[in-house]
Amino acid sequence: MYETSPLLHFAEDTLQIAALAFMAIVYALKIRWILKFPAGKERQKPTAPPGRDGRKGALYSLAAIALPWAMASYRERPLRYVQFAVFHLAVAASILMSFLIPYAPETIASPAAVVALQAIFAAGILMGLMRLWRRLADPHVRAISTPDDYFSLALLIVWLGASIAAAPNAREVSETPLLAYFFLTAFFLVYVPFSKISHYIYYPFSRYYLGKTLGRRGAYPLANPAAMLKPES
Amino acid sequence: MARERSWRAQKVIERLEQKVNRQVLLSLAACVHCGMCTEQCHYVLANPDDPTYAPAYKADKLRKLFKAHIDWTGRAFPWWVGARSVYTDEELEDLKDTVFGKCTNCRRCSFNCPMGVDMATFNRLARGLLVHVGIMPEGVATVAKDQWEIGNQMGVLKEDYLETVEWMEEELQDEFDDPNIKIPIDKKGAELVYTINPREAKYDPRTIAEAAAIFHFAGENWTMVSEGWDMTNFGLFNGDDELGGACARRVYDAARTIGAKRIVISECGHGYRSTRCEGPNWSKTDLPDIEMESSIITMLRYIKEGRIQVDKSKNSIPVTYHDSCNMARSCGMTEEPRELLRLVCSDFREMYPNRQQNFCCTGGGGAMSMAEYAPRRLKSAKIKAEQLRATGAKIVITSCHNCVDGLTDLIKHYQLDMEVKQLVDMVYNALVVPKPAPKVEVPVAVAPGEIPAKALAGYKVLVIDDEPDVRTYLRVIFKDKGAEVLEAPDANQGWRQIRDQKPDLVTLDLVMPHKTGEKLYWELRKDEKYKNLPIVIITGYGKTDKPTVRFHEFIAEKGIPEPNAFLEKPIDPDKVIETAIQVLGTRIPSDQIQ
Ligand code: SF4
Ligand code: SF4
Repeated sequence: MYETSPLLHFAEDTLQIAALAFMAIVYALKIRWILKFPAGKERQKPTAPPGRDGRKGALYSLAAIALPWAMASYRERPLRYVQFAVFHLAVAASILMSFLIPYAPETIASPAAVVALQAIFAAGILMGLMRLWRRLADPHVRAISTPDDYFSLALLIVWLGASIAAAPNAREVSETPLLAYFFLTAFFLVYVPFSKISHYIYYPFSRYYLGKTLGRRGAYPLANPAAMLKPES
Repeated sequence: MARERSWRAQKVIERLEQKVNRQVLLSLAACVHCGMCTEQCHYVLANPDDPTYAPAYKADKLRKLFKAHIDWTGRAFPWWVGARSVYTDEELEDLKDTVFGKCTNCRRCSFNCPMGVDMATFNRLARGLLVHVGIMPEGVATVAKDQWEIGNQMGVLKEDYLETVEWMEEELQDEFDDPNIKIPIDKKGAELVYTINPREAKYDPRTIAEAAAIFHFAGENWTMVSEGWDMTNFGLFNGDDELGGACARRVYDAARTIGAKRIVISECGHGYRSTRCEGPNWSKTDLPDIEMESSIITMLRYIKEGRIQVDKSKNSIPVTYHDSCNMARSCGMTEEPRELLRLVCSDFREMYPNRQQNFCCTGGGGAMSMAEYAPRRLKSAKIKAEQLRATGAKIVITSCHNCVDGLTDLIKHYQLDMEVKQLVDMVYNALVVPKPAPKVEVPVAVAPGEIPAKALAGYKVLVIDDEPDVRTYLRVIFKDKGAEVLEAPDANQGWRQIRDQKPDLVTLDLVMPHKTGEKLYWELRKDEKYKNLPIVIITGYGKTDKPTVRFHEFIAEKGIPEPNAFLEKPIDPDKVIETAIQVLGTRIPSDQIQ
């Protein structure tokens, strides 16, 4: 039976917990900071027609990311939605893997599971590279990109690369891929709260407030978004 | 050494720190710079090679400031996340150019942003910061001043407003031959207060008369008010919540004084949003006993309840509908106008994209008051022009006065064969009311000041002019004397109306897009059928100006007769009527023209 080295043990366990704890603390502070700002009050009577209200609007708004057909931006460019979805799926899979490898390795031990994970990570890298290319090549996106935008994306692409190497969890062959993966994961966790990657903290809030306002006024949920864009055949 | 900062820049930063609330903070913090909003903005579509028009680029102008002073990552690592403060008035001028001149606060990008970034809300906030330190387009300053000082955004004096209302009341009484039609002012105990856009009092009073006729025939207990009648609110456009609150409060106070249960807001997108949705917030007023509604809802209710009858075959010209951004995206009013349109028009054609995905008319966000940005605005209207053209409609209906002006401007600029109307025009035109049979009086030459009240009753007059305001004005003048008035916004439609409607008299403008008035005049005069049709040229140029001289040279060269009369703008209503009576006194009866 292979004996895991103390360094890898530290990297996959203590370091991850410390990084996660750090991230959680910074997130908590961030949420406290958001809540310190007063929420604008709506005095107007609800003006939405029957079937629409602030709650429904907020729920619809929160679900918006899963409704690409409701947004002209994604309808007109479906490949961008594929990029978005696959990339985020790969990131989520890698986060999950960072827990499974140290605490439930048997769940992803089968060759099929390993290949599936590697395929997701590879697809994520491809989508990430496409997004990076767009950020560099499209003058509109380039003009709004900050060093953090480039670095965050590059970091995730590299991390997904490390995820491919780490997925087989072949520590008895070499610990290097796992060490690289877990150190990168820890760095990622510590870096996230200070970077644009923390957008997922903002997402529920920003979508909730927009949806609540628009729902109260009857502009959300969109009744038949597809029919707004093109004549129905 | 710390960089020096102008006092204006300092004030802007201080006020930003006070004004950012949770919603604005989240919209400023949440953007991931994905660029998905880029192609959703009409400015980008007209300027595809200029990244400074992209919504996120424009938003970043304020976002950088937010990051530099409020966002903690921005304060810790400014360069890394693109934080940047402002120091000079020039930088504030640059911000002004963006927030006033490159965004109409239409909110279309927000509906297509995966993160729910509410661009219009913080763009308005940025405008407010600049207005607070006196940096704004001149037109914005003028309009806001008028609304603060005179009580309405077009500076219409109380006497002029009351006189206009009275004039419209007389119009209606003459038109329907019914002295009982009234436009009540300050009628205590009225159920409903009707509030309007001052543009109606100043340029388009017919909409007041049309609404009044609808209220009258619906048997409504209604009134207009002498104070607090302007439901528009420039506070929405210049970001000044105090102005917003003051304007809204005036309207609410007027309704309370009357004891009305309902405020009906005439067709105006930003007025509706400001009065009904934002006004209570800005003015910190709760209105538990007063309902507010758009006149669209009121008219729809009257039809559904059978209080007025309409005949949609009276509106048979193909129409399309333009959703005002404030109505559709900010207030969710998309289905009711369509329902009403289908009841009063027989050929309604949808425009794509529509409803919450519609493109801005480009006149929103107060853009019509910012003359310096007009070329930019008209360029950005390209997508709207394409949308309109694709419908094949001849009339575009909109429920917003800003949109009326924005669309009229772009229709002229892109030479579209269409005109702009509002729902009230269509409902009024479709009204079925027992009208007294017109009494045909034989027109006689009269001395000025002795024109009989119904001197033109029984005659059909066609007004061909590309200026909607001129058409409206002539329509009012002729209708006042009992004539049936037809309108055409260009020579081609004029030709069609002459063939189909057989008018007794035509007034013709010379300078019009597509085909000129002189060309149409020549075509009519060489046509056996129409060579004797009475035509009065009404043109906007003096005798020494080219079009008039050119016209006379033109008819001399072609060997065609002079028109029956020639009048110059500005229009003198008495002169127009005297001329029409004289011309019609020698007319060839229409049945002989067949
Ligand atoms: S779509 Fe939204 S998140 Fe993306 S760049 Fe535009 S505003 Fe930012
Ligand atoms: S609010 Fe409208 S005009 Fe302003 S950036 Fe967004 S899409 Fe463009």
